[in-house]
Amino acid sequence: MLKKLWAQLLGTRIGRSVFRVGLPASNLQRAQVAISSFLLHMQPAKVHQRTLKFSTTLGLGLITLYLFFILIITGVLLMFYYVPSTDLAYQSMKDLEFVVTAGMVLRNMHRWAAHLMVIFVMLHMCRVFYTGAYKQPREFNWVIGVILFILTLALSFTGYLLPWDQLAFWAITVGSSIAGYAPIVGEKIKFILLGGHTVGQAALLRFYVLHVVLLPGAALVLIGIHLWRVRKDGGLARPGEPAFTQEELPATALPTTKSYGLMELAHGTTPAVGVEPDDEVFTWPNLIFREILVFMLVVVLLLVLAIFWNAPLEEFANPVHPPNPAKAPWYFLGLQELVSYSALWGGVIVPALIVVALVALPYLDRRRAGIGVWFSRERKVALSIFSICLVTMIVLTIIGSVFRGPNWSFQVPWKPNIVAEER
Amino acid sequence: MASSELRKLYPWFIVAGLAVGGLVILAFYKDQFREWKEWQHAYIKQEMARATNEAQRAAAALIPVEIKQIVLPDVGRIDRCTTCHLAVDDASYSGFKQPLAYHPNHAQHPFEKFACTICHQGQGLAATREAAHGHVEHWERPMLPMKYIEASCAKCHLASDISGAPKLAKGRALFDEIGCIGCHKLKGSGGVIGPELDGVGARRSPEWLAKHFRTPAAVTPGSAMPPIKVTDEEIDALTLYMLSLTEERLDAYYTSMQVLPGPEAGQRLFLEKGCIGCHSLGGQGGKVGPALEGLKGRRDATWIAAHFRNPQATTPGTMMPKFDFTEAQIRALTEFLLTKTEPGAVNLLKFPAQMTPIERGKAVFKKYGCAGCHGRDAMSGVPNPNAKTAQQVPGLKFVSEGYNKAELRKRILGGQKEINKLNPKGPQPPLYMPAWGGKISEGELDDLVEYLMSLLPKTEKTDF
Amino acid sequence: MNSMSGANSNRRDFFQLVLGWGAALFAFCASLAGAARFMIPNVLYEPNQRCKLLKPEEYEEGATFIAESRLFLVRKGNTFRAVSGVCTHLGCTVLRNSKGNGFHCPCHGSQFNENAVVTGGPAPRPLPWYLVELSRDGRLVVNAAHVVAADKYLVV
Repeated sequence: MLKKLWAQLLGTRIGRSVFRVGLPASNLQRAQVAISSFLLHMQPAKVHQRTLKFSTTLGLGLITLYLFFILIITGVLLMFYYVPSTDLAYQSMKDLEFVVTAGMVLRNMHRWAAHLMVIFVMLHMCRVFYTGAYKQPREFNWVIGVILFILTLALSFTGYLLPWDQLAFWAITVGSSIAGYAPIVGEKIKFILLGGHTVGQAALLRFYVLHVVLLPGAALVLIGIHLWRVRKDGGLARPGEPAFTQEELPATALPTTKSYGLMELAHGTTPAVGVEPDDEVFTWPNLIFREILVFMLVVVLLLVLAIFWNAPLEEFANPVHPPNPAKAPWYFLGLQELVSYSALWGGVIVPALIVVALVALPYLDRRRAGIGVWFSRERKVALSIFSICLVTMIVLTIIGSVFRGPNWSFQVPWKPNIVAEER
Repeated sequence: MASSELRKLYPWFIVAGLAVGGLVILAFYKDQFREWKEWQHAYIKQEMARATNEAQRAAAALIPVEIKQIVLPDVGRIDRCTTCHLAVDDASYSGFKQPLAYHPNHAQHPFEKFACTICHQGQGLAATREAAHGHVEHWERPMLPMKYIEASCAKCHLASDISGAPKLAKGRALFDEIGCIGCHKLKGSGGVIGPELDGVGARRSPEWLAKHFRTPAAVTPGSAMPPIKVTDEEIDALTLYMLSLTEERLDAYYTSMQVLPGPEAGQRLFLEKGCIGCHSLGGQGGKVGPALEGLKGRRDATWIAAHFRNPQATTPGTMMPKFDFTEAQIRALTEFLLTKTEPGAVNLLKFPAQMTPIERGKAVFKKYGCAGCHGRDAMSGVPNPNAKTAQQVPGLKFVSEGYNKAELRKRILGGQKEINKLNPKGPQPPLYMPAWGGKISEGELDDLVEYLMSLLPKTEKTDF
Repeated sequence: MNSMSGANSNRRDFFQLVLGWGAALFAFCASLAGAARFMIPNVLYEPNQRCKLLKPEEYEEGATFIAESRLFLVRKGNTFRAVSGVCTHLGCTVLRNSKGNGFHCPCHGSQFNENAVVTGGPAPRPLPWYLVELSRDGRLVVNAAHVVAADKYLVV
């Protein structure tokens, strides 16, 4: 009955003008829903059965995307109260906490979503690697993914400074100093990034503009391309998919008299209809529904985190009194640990190697073995090398995070070193 | 048609939808529940109960429940204390329990100009009890305990010349007397053995300071500082004085606001305008106008202010010219004349000429904090473990027997970094004689030597 | 799947879907309401409606402009009153006119006489007069939340 009412509502002239296709009743309409909607056309009308299986991707890329959207929404809301000034930034944090309705919850959501996004980007990359999903024809999409990974770190890093507390101030000071170790351009980059020699008002404003306009804008465009290519490259990688061949269409194959739309694939007389492989299912409702469900679960997780755990806010930034030890954001602590041995290695060679290796990966690992299979036995060497690097970075990060105390001395987390202040 | 696998997810869909909605509502519920609202309701209830007629009751019912704040942008203060402390300016609430108590004695420091945290400290931006009082992590300036409240006066007033802060003045005097400055540097002068004290009040908690005065080693292991032998009351005064050393100076702001005329500003003006050319104060100055010693007993503020506006109005025929002082300047001068004209209250020059060299030398001894190690009156030193001199810093009583004047000068200027050890294998004694060359002036050194040479009473000669 | 249980499960599916979408819609609306409430500020950083001025004797005869509250304090001998300096037309700040016996608005030419009554231009209403009181420490207080008649004075 409700369904009828809804169908009638959609069937009116206005309903039609908004939702081109009503509630789909036939397969044709199910295809049209996906094709004719702006939001849903990112996906093909039909997807492979495998796509629906949770174990194929663990939903990692999707979750990352959702976190990005949540970050945009919460971020825009926070911008209504945040003032990017060294005098007022910290005060706006306190206002959000103490006087703005739901201010703290939104700030918490933004903070935890940012951390989660860094984690999920990394997990997503691991998934793509361990399932060999970056091989031809998806090489360049992996490269875009690497750029998005760097953008994610940059977004998180620039956001770190904005509260203008001790944690923010010193994490950025240390983090930008690591950047300063790059040869020749390092100091210049640091100077331009900070808009001066020290972290001050100029740096705050620059980080703010990067954080709220440039980086999210760039990320949004690249995410669009990333998703579009997933679709154009044949959806999720799967074992036994036909080998990629660059087809050259004869010029006469395309009708010249009219434009050729996607919808035509779904029209009744198109030969493709009816002979689709049996293991393909309609995106609507099978995939869409699952995607919505994942979104809700992400929101639940974030709300729980945000309601029960507050984002940190330390003392007002004090340029003359660094905390001991002054640590970079956690995702740079592996590098900071390396910097403590050798600035050149930790600050330049290792990060450069990581980026170069990640970008080059799909072009080096060209064997068409183990595509779409988790931990394929045919890729033992690649898997081992990647895993060793990964574990090393994780271990370094853990050491830098919890095993380093005052003066970067070794400590065990359950028994922190205490050093008397020399003042 | 939906597949059976998809159908299995429907219940999850319901659960997730309800969970999101429920959590959003929970977030808001948590957000709506704020401590300060309870106090505001309590206040409204109190106002209702006190209302004697219908109009008052209606007014009470209309009191809004909202965050209240005093904003002082020029000194970076936004104080929301009055969100809970709703009756601070209502005398009829005197004697009430906090947070609804009346704040007495605020006439000279009106709330709208001074807010709360300038004197009381704490976290003005916060709106929960714990956070606002500042007893939370990541807030460096918790509320000052009331026994140390006078420390805040020093943000505007000089410790030595504010009548309303006797404890602060006492702490300041003790600091000089004990000779802390012999080891610690303050405002650019003082010794180098201990840490500098500028801004110490912003770095250290009252508990830390008090503990440190009792047993320095308890808070700073291996500290060279000897425990100070003073009463608990004196420790409080010293702690209070330390807390006042915050490097936060607000007097310029308040003077510009015409809120605070300040006797210091008055003193500066007094010297600047050359009042001393005609009037005398502290034994110095001209004889043309009346001497100002003891003026407080003779004239009141209204008379003094009126006399600055127009001398002829108060003293017809007087020679005093009419200076075009601003009202703020007049207030400052009046304040100065009312607080500094007690006999002996002010030395406009550093050392009055009529002091003997020995008296001056004693002042120098105090100025450079020699007493900190050599003891008050230079008679017995403080402990200095493993020093050959009986494990303590030597007293200076017999200095005239061991040194002639030239040797003494050399020792003061050059210091003695290496102190002879009692047990040669033991640790280096922590205290040593700093070199005062470059810090002490020639004249001061002469006076100091005179003073030290005079310490041994003529009757007490010993044989070495 | 036989037809009987098919109809049953169909109904159950539909019921669950409606409930699910209802819950989702509810969550969405709650979030939207939350965002809307977030946008309403709980504290303002603008001048207080009650503006505390100096002592009466510090003001000269005639109208004195109080910039922070955009109002004029008008002294006539020992009487004080305060008038808004915001034009009732479109909110510009009015000026004292050259004759010194009223106000005019530079934006669209409204004219007000010394009792702030409109004498020319597009302004629809006279400028409002505010309550002037004496605080406990003897200073003038203008309450911009309390409009009074033009002939109401504070006599000091």
